Amino acid sequence: MVTPSFLWNVCKSSFTFGLIGLTISDRFASIVPVRGLSMSPTLNPHESTSLGLFTDDHVLVEKRCLTNYKFSHGDVVVFCSPSSYKEKHIKRITAMAGDWISVPYSYDAVKIPEGHCWVEGDNPTNSLDSRSFGPIPVGLIRGRVTHIMWPPQRVGKVDTRFPKDGECLVCYCIIIFL
Amino acid sequence: MGTQNMILNVFKKYIGIGLVGITVTDRYGGVCPIRGSSMSPTFNPSLGSFTDDYVFLEKFCLDKYRFAHGDVVIFSDPTNYKERCVKRIVAMEGDYISNVSGVVKVPEGHCWVEGDNSASSFDSRSFGPIPLGLIHGRVTHIVWPPQRIKKIDRKVPQEGLAF
Repeated sequence: MVTPSFLWNVCKSSFTFGLIGLTISDRFASIVPVRGLSMSPTLNPHESTSLGLFTDDHVLVEKRCLTNYKFSHGDVVVFCSPSSYKEKHIKRITAMAGDWISVPYSYDAVKIPEGHCWVEGDNPTNSLDSRSFGPIPVGLIRGRVTHIMWPPQRVGKVDTRFPKDGECLVCYCIIIFL
Repeated sequence: MGTQNMILNVFKKYIGIGLVGITVTDRYGGVCPIRGSSMSPTFNPSLGSFTDDYVFLEKFCLDKYRFAHGDVVIFSDPTNYKERCVKRIVAMEGDYISNVSGVVKVPEGHCWVEGDNSASSFDSRSFGPIPLGLIHGRVTHIVWPPQRIKKIDRKVPQEGLAF
């Protein structure tokens, strides 16, 4: 027999679980799908098929790092796009404030201003990143990617590794200026 | 026992209220204090007063990012991501601003913010246009001290916009 008090209890429980879910996803961690190939082969190593959502990688984005803003080289982060504020991008941080980055196809070097960072995708041929829109303020970052959660055969930790090419470019610049 | 149940109920009620409070502050609106005099006389009109202004900050605008000229917004400082600043939007993307270093076009997805008190304000004239993604909310009302409770108007400043 479904009594009003039973219904009321069900309502209260689902409301509470909904709130807990919202708070956890806002402040602790959430799972998001990755679209596009700019982070191959780390994320989405294969071409997107028509199945879309089922075959894209889903990653765990943790938001505890936002309280201290402790990011470092090699972290994969989710951030709001500086030119189109409704979209979010996923890229890897290759340089932090104070580092020098050599601009591709020219002899210029850019120093990353205070409070900003330089992000690049692991797949440079297919990635819209700081080489197009410049360094981004760290305040735009919305979370750090730690693990791949789907598909099951690719579940694992996402490494924070220093990309080889970027390292060479930064060292090269420091040698020129010293 | 009876008392254990009562304590558990009180505990659950507090957790429930806390959760609702956290969700509302994160997503809909909150109250925060204003420090400094870069927005005089709109906020903190007198130096050395004992009470800072507290304002109501609404976050409904973040869903659609519907900002306009003259809105007072709170955003993360682009030079120091741990701090937040409050300034007025003077120009949106596509507008031209005349600055000491010439005429600047505000790029897509950015806006130009300035404090009402131009003499003592660290704003876009120093750090350039800011991406709209840095904005945390829009200020609508002053809620404290009681004699200064009022709505914040969308005042469009006259100087600064070249065309």
